[in-house]
Amino acid sequence: MTAYLIRRTLQSIATLFIVSLATFGLLHLMPNGVVRGMLGQRATPQQIAYVTHKLGLDKHIWDQYWIWIKNLLHGDLGTSYIRNQSVDNLVKETLGQSAYLVGLALLLTIVLAVPIGVLQATRRNTVTDYTITTLSFIGYAVPVFFIGVILRDIFQVKLHWIPTANQIDSFSSAFGQPEQMVLPVGTLVIGLVAGYSRYMRSAMLDELTQDYVRTAIAKGATKRRVLYRHVLRNALIPMATLVGLSLPGLVGGALLVEQIFNIQGIGLLTINAAQQNDFVVVLGTTMLTALVTVLGSLVADISYAALDPRVRLT
Amino acid sequence: MALLEVQNLHTQIKLKRSVVQAVDGISFSVEAGETIGIVGESGCGKTMTAMSIMRLLPNGGSSPEGSIFLDGRDLLQLDEEEMAGVRGNEIGMIFQDPMTSLNPTMTIGRQISESVRIHRGTGKKEAHERAVEVLQLVGMPSPMQRAQDYPHQLSGGMRQRAMIAIALANEPKLLIADEPTTALDVTVQKQILELIDSLRERLGMAVILVTHDLGVIAGRADRVNVMYAGRIVETTQTERLYANPRHPYTEALFDSLPERGAESGTRLYSIPGLPPDLTDPPKVCRFSPRCRYAQDDCRAQDPPYRVDEVGHEFACFHPVGAAERSGEDLKVTLSEATSRQELPAGEIGDVLLEVSDLVKDYPITKGLLRRQIGTVSAVAGVSFTIRRGETVGLVGESGCGKTTVAKLIVGLEDTTSGAMKLSGADLAALKARDRRKRSKDVQLMFQDSYAAMDPRMRVRTVVREPLDIQKVGDKAAREARIRELFDQVGLPASALERYPHEFSGGQRQRVGFARALAPAPKLIVADEPVSALDVSIQSQVLNLMKDLQTELGLSYLFISHDLSVVRYLSDRIGVMYLGKLVEIGPAEAVYSRPIHHYTRGLLDTIPVADPEVEKAKASAGVAGELPSAIDPPSGCRFRTRCPAAQELCAQVEPPLAPFGSDGHEAACHFPIWK
Repeated sequence: MTAYLIRRTLQSIATLFIVSLATFGLLHLMPNGVVRGMLGQRATPQQIAYVTHKLGLDKHIWDQYWIWIKNLLHGDLGTSYIRNQSVDNLVKETLGQSAYLVGLALLLTIVLAVPIGVLQATRRNTVTDYTITTLSFIGYAVPVFFIGVILRDIFQVKLHWIPTANQIDSFSSAFGQPEQMVLPVGTLVIGLVAGYSRYMRSAMLDELTQDYVRTAIAKGATKRRVLYRHVLRNALIPMATLVGLSLPGLVGGALLVEQIFNIQGIGLLTINAAQQNDFVVVLGTTMLTALVTVLGSLVADISYAALDPRVRLT
Repeated sequence: MALLEVQNLHTQIKLKRSVVQAVDGISFSVEAGETIGIVGESGCGKTMTAMSIMRLLPNGGSSPEGSIFLDGRDLLQLDEEEMAGVRGNEIGMIFQDPMTSLNPTMTIGRQISESVRIHRGTGKKEAHERAVEVLQLVGMPSPMQRAQDYPHQLSGGMRQRAMIAIALANEPKLLIADEPTTALDVTVQKQILELIDSLRERLGMAVILVTHDLGVIAGRADRVNVMYAGRIVETTQTERLYANPRHPYTEALFDSLPERGAESGTRLYSIPGLPPDLTDPPKVCRFSPRCRYAQDDCRAQDPPYRVDEVGHEFACFHPVGAAERSGEDLKVTLSEATSRQELPAGEIGDVLLEVSDLVKDYPITKGLLRRQIGTVSAVAGVSFTIRRGETVGLVGESGCGKTTVAKLIVGLEDTTSGAMKLSGADLAALKARDRRKRSKDVQLMFQDSYAAMDPRMRVRTVVREPLDIQKVGDKAAREARIRELFDQVGLPASALERYPHEFSGGQRQRVGFARALAPAPKLIVADEPVSALDVSIQSQVLNLMKDLQTELGLSYLFISHDLSVVRYLSDRIGVMYLGKLVEIGPAEAVYSRPIHHYTRGLLDTIPVADPEVEKAKASAGVAGELPSAIDPPSGCRFRTRCPAAQELCAQVEPPLAPFGSDGHEAACHFPIWK
């Protein structure tokens, strides 16, 4: 197990390194370079030269990368070109509310999707099953931003059930105004539950056909007991993996939701920075997303081994 | 009244568009303390009968009709809750595959104690104590520790013991064992069957033993029900059934057994055709289309049950066997059926394949740098030869390395060391590219042809693929070759357009055979080619293999756990144990005069379809289970299970040495004979 963890950590570091290289390279491929993007088409060559020099962008790309990496290892993600603020600070200001949004959505999704999946599997091919299936296909097919906009227009703009209050710009404002989080979390949950419940349904159906279920019934176990003591646990094993692996996708979904509901989270930060060619910020948030992805898959593997005695991590 | 009375049981299975009459009006009874055998081929309804008694029918299967009285109570009239009180309490059941039948994420201790808690309402601690007690009862070594284990940590035999412990935790009056040993090795099979038998005596319970294997049932059952197409076609005492079968189907089953053919040196009988479609069973004798004695009345109406003077029941107008056959019936018999053919005897030529000192080790790694900490010694210095036109059989328990030998010869695995000379060229030393070219000379036949074919390919493409790969001839030539192959394996050319799932098991094995034959190989390595088939279909494939060997001068390396099948087909038999070849020699010599104690034990464990032989068996077969190949025993690897082992066996590894002049060799310090 220890050897496994060490090996996986080394692999993760390698992955992050490659991600940093790729992101760095891609951002430098931007037409006309970063500075023209920042200053606009009317900037004079002198202005461009000046800013380029000031930001250290006239150095060789490898030198730039080296400096960036060196700072990163010291916990310094650099300074935003536009906002005159360190990226560390920007991340600190935005991470809390984003994590809250994603975490809450994930928790609610699991709480909802597992029972729905179980219900569908036990009522397979009944009206209940078909109805939920239809609803989940709709929920799955409709893009997140569309759901978000619809929910906002109905509940905030038309019905005024939820006041269009201040923007959420900190963790405490997110935590302190639960009514403001209902729609953004709800938007994420709709899409997620649709997918997760399908997954849970098929995991349950898979397990229900296994021979050990027959053994349990032959023991005299009631339907309830078979379902909850035997089938459910085994069906939850693949779900644990799913949660870990869907983390990066969740971050992507959160990005859109933050924009719709004006949550000053890390997603919105990234979008704005990208539009403004503030590439140090984009680099920082990309690395953060990559870290979450790598950790997510590690957690998925470890929880898989923890839940299934047959799996040994080597 | 008997303990269990099944009366006029009908079980239907509803499918999407049709209804299958899986069990169609059967009646039988089981007395307390008695063992009843239910025997028949797949799809005959034997498992459905067992499931009906437990009311464990698959979803969508409508509830069985008729009545099933257990101690006077009709199980079919109980509600679901009452039935749950019967299952695992009054009737225990064990299933075929103990691996999949146990919950993989629950310790076996908990799986047993669950059964106790459900029915006895005892607390956790008490139930656990009972679980350990039952594990002890079923002969589980160190039961306290094993109770903490998960199913995957146990061997197959131990898993089946755990299964039995679950079924017997509440001391039921009736145990239903559905193919309880089909997934196990013969040596373990014997242990498990003996365990069930001794537990039956100790607990005074009745047993229903459901199996396809006439040998398994011979020494165990008091009475046997033979099932065919959803009906019981014959029922009587075991001894009487085996000595004098009255129904032609039962007789045909016996005639299909490879041991019968091996003894008399004749072709195996195989039952033509397939069982009827049970969605709309014909209103005539259901066996008549496949029966060698069928006459007009058989095809006109359903034969009723008849009882002869000794209480032997059967449903047939023209019974076979001793008692009451009229002269007219006999004529038919003699002209059509008893014309047993002699086996074709092909010529055996010079050496085709010479395997010498073949070794295959798999590394075991551990730690951060995946350091090698040991090896699994799968094949440890095996040498033998196969001549042109010869069949060499390889037998042994699972894990003995026989399949690894097959993989090495075919080239699916690389050898660790050793040589495999095929017509002079060492296959092990060839480069990958040259090896691929030579692969047309050695082809593989699989156990599960369905799994070994692309389900989305028509069988024409399946069979043509090796020709395409080896670039044999042009398009027309390949097409002609495919037709020739299909003709050889006895399939119509119209079958070329079909997909693998559209064939029956036996036909699919023929397609697999055709594919192996396609590049005109010299040697076919057949790994358990008939193990998944019913006995009547098995004989068809075995006969075909034998015919084509003579016709094409093929050599076979025939691998099987089933000694009687190997004996029927092989000229010579090699016995493997834990990576070593411990004995090899002419088939009859190995079979009738084994030298190695392992061979002797293995022969004793094979269930023979003869109750007298089975009951007279005194030998314990092979005790214990196969040790791990990671750190095999020193000296003779068999010494840990050998009745004749002495100190020398642990110190010096016995070499393979000749005994007699017929090429019979064995590796043993203290052979059975010299």
